[in-house]
Amino acid sequence: MTETKEKLFDLAHTGLTDEQLFQRAPQDAAAVEKIVAPRYSYWRSVGRVFFSKKSNILVIAMMVLILVFTYIYPTFTGYDKFENIMDPLSKHLTPAAAIEKYGFHIKWIFGTGESGQSTFDALWYGSRISISLAILCTIINFSIGIMIGALWGFSKKVDIIMNEIRNVIANVPGTLVTSVLVLVFSPNFATLVFAMCVTGWIGIAYSIRTQVIIIRDREYNLASKCLGTSTLRIATKNILPFMISFIVTMMANSLPGYIGSEAFLSYIGLGISDTTLGKLVYNAQPAMVTPGWGWEFWCPVMLSAFISIVLFLVGQSLGDAADPRTHML
Amino acid sequence: MLKYFFKRVGRGCVSVVIAVSIIMVLLFYAMDNTLIFSEDEQYAKLANNQKISYMYTTWEKYGYLDLISYNDYLNELVAKGEMDEEFKSTIASIGRTAEQDPEAAKPYIQQYLDYCEENGYTVKRLDAVMANSKRIATGGAAMLFAYINTPVHERVWDFFSSLLTFDDINYVEEDIGERGLTFTWYDPAYGGEKFSPAILGNGTLHKYLLYFDQYFPYVHQNFVKLTLGTSFSVNKGVDVFQTMTQRQGTYVPTTTYYPTGLVAESADDLHSAIYAPGSRELNLVLADRYTDDYTNINLHKDSKSKIFYSFIISILASFFTYLLGLPLGILMAKKKDTWVDNLGNAYVIFMIAVPSLAYYFMFKAVAVKIGLPVIFSLDNPTVLMYITPVVASLASSVAGTMKWMRRYMVDQMNSDYVKFARAEGLSEFEIFAKHIFKNAAIPITHGLPNTIIMALSGSIMMERIYTIPGVGGLLVEAIGAYDNQVIVGVALFYGVLSIISAVLGDITMAIMDPRISFTTKAR
Repeated sequence: MTETKEKLFDLAHTGLTDEQLFQRAPQDAAAVEKIVAPRYSYWRSVGRVFFSKKSNILVIAMMVLILVFTYIYPTFTGYDKFENIMDPLSKHLTPAAAIEKYGFHIKWIFGTGESGQSTFDALWYGSRISISLAILCTIINFSIGIMIGALWGFSKKVDIIMNEIRNVIANVPGTLVTSVLVLVFSPNFATLVFAMCVTGWIGIAYSIRTQVIIIRDREYNLASKCLGTSTLRIATKNILPFMISFIVTMMANSLPGYIGSEAFLSYIGLGISDTTLGKLVYNAQPAMVTPGWGWEFWCPVMLSAFISIVLFLVGQSLGDAADPRTHML
Repeated sequence: MLKYFFKRVGRGCVSVVIAVSIIMVLLFYAMDNTLIFSEDEQYAKLANNQKISYMYTTWEKYGYLDLISYNDYLNELVAKGEMDEEFKSTIASIGRTAEQDPEAAKPYIQQYLDYCEENGYTVKRLDAVMANSKRIATGGAAMLFAYINTPVHERVWDFFSSLLTFDDINYVEEDIGERGLTFTWYDPAYGGEKFSPAILGNGTLHKYLLYFDQYFPYVHQNFVKLTLGTSFSVNKGVDVFQTMTQRQGTYVPTTTYYPTGLVAESADDLHSAIYAPGSRELNLVLADRYTDDYTNINLHKDSKSKIFYSFIISILASFFTYLLGLPLGILMAKKKDTWVDNLGNAYVIFMIAVPSLAYYFMFKAVAVKIGLPVIFSLDNPTVLMYITPVVASLASSVAGTMKWMRRYMVDQMNSDYVKFARAEGLSEFEIFAKHIFKNAAIPITHGLPNTIIMALSGSIMMERIYTIPGVGGLLVEAIGAYDNQVIVGVALFYGVLSIISAVLGDITMAIMDPRISFTTKAR
């Protein structure tokens, strides 16, 4: 082995000079700067980390199932609360009785409600409004919260003003503000979104502010600032990526929160008149204690719990995956 | 330090004033005024013009507007001496419509209209509603009045300036004899023989200004009263604060010694006597019992106040929360990444994610299954009925305490001083008890006053689900009945509680952690 290697390097037998044998390679200024490393894409890494865990695939499958039933299923079947109102025998049926009466159909697997409507259809129709409300409120609150929170963290003047505003709002319980707003304006979807967003963003903005203040003065940002990077670029390129995981985790916490507050408002009689999960619980309250009627009460309760947990878990796992520190191979 | 707290309290007060003002503006100016009558039985009974008149007089009573009727205006003229009673009666009646006004009254009506216009009042003339061509329908008499809406700032000012009312000996307008306060060692309400100091007033609103009785806190005063607003529908005519603090339930008759010397078995609480002008003339029973017109009294009731039930349940729940949550959080931190930790985390996630409405009902269902009472009944109180609400509210708050305690413990466990202590050769127990726990407990103690003070406000949802007669339920009841005064009063109550608890939280933290000082600028 060593002998062949020796042979390979022995160029004397060729009889050529060094100049003939070797040629100087051209120097490329751009290539010098290039670092050879595996390609790194942030979102691809997030996807990789997220799907590398088996339980996450299960959770995301459940979320897809929920979304399909919430947004696509009702468009096929169409929900009519009063479809069986004329039939006194159709009311408060258990699943077994309903299937016996109408034949097996996915519609009847949870029995019927107080006016003979299908509990299963009512659930998904109701969850459409509840989930839409939660998603919409989350989007609005986080958009406002992140923007104001970033400003709040960066500017000392804004900090002083915003702290005072927060003091005013924080002293009044959020439920009180929401209930009063819903009470004052007629309860409908838009009002509910408005009432939940009017003070909802401030907590988010405050958390963002705290995070911004923590990260803002780190060495790498100081260095970036010394090199003349604009504040906007520091905010969007240096700080925002750091906070994505934090923001996603916070969203995971707040989504179930909105579903819960909608249920709460409906429960104290301030909900919107349309069918929502909270409204279904509210309407079915007397059914809870009536033997044989339990299905129509427990189904919305359990579904709201199920939706909340799934959304929460998806958000938590996504938040973990969004943390760049988990992207190391 | 002191300066910091004064500043903090001051700021808190300002913010509560702003927040309450915003709520007042929303409730009294943005909301449809007629909604307040939705639960009013009296309103439902009235018809025609009488109904409209009732609406306006009610609005005046609850501060929405200032009302001046034609009759009021004439009375004012009489009081000024511009006309006498007899002349007034000749011009006081108005016609069925403006055209049918009596000739004699016409110039005065015009004068009234001019007066209203000058002062910015909006005149409302209601023509008579006729049942047939001759007879006026029930409540259909013609009416003439004018109103002006109370401006926002005036209303807000009225609310905050009348928060505290001081009783004084010139309160009673009628002739009541010698005004003044008298001190006695022997309270006449106990028959005048039992030793019980009391201060009695004559000319004041309350007859008893200071007295002792068997209810907590045993000594009571009526010199200064907190008024948060008069309820319209929830507890009609009674102040919100009184609604929260007065006893409820069924009447308890005791031996009562009336001022006339009459001794009877009655639930009357003589200590609560309030001046009611001319009451003895109208009511023979009262004349039999009282020697003066301090006859408006509350009754002895067997159950505690709303605030008591809210407080006792929340405090019990908080006590057990700390009792269970702290050790469990420590256990989770100690057994980090084992099945104990995982189980605890799963529980915490479940409690955060599931809407509270859902698990309150789950607890209720479980309680029904195992035979615990789930309805809070004042008629036959048992200790058992506290269990379900306490356990239900405990379940969620314990999750929060566990989560934070674990987080703080884990944070402290990884810090350098712990490694150093271990290197020094301290025992694990010593490190845990003396170093880690002491530091980890500081953020927890910050929340302690908040838990205690906020227990007074009760839990809105829990009180509704378990029908607890508490403060949280009061707010829901008020919202359902559009009782705006109550909503504002409760909002202020909550706001003040949160200021107090925030400041107390800071104080506790400063006491617990000598490194924290509020004198230097933190930032």
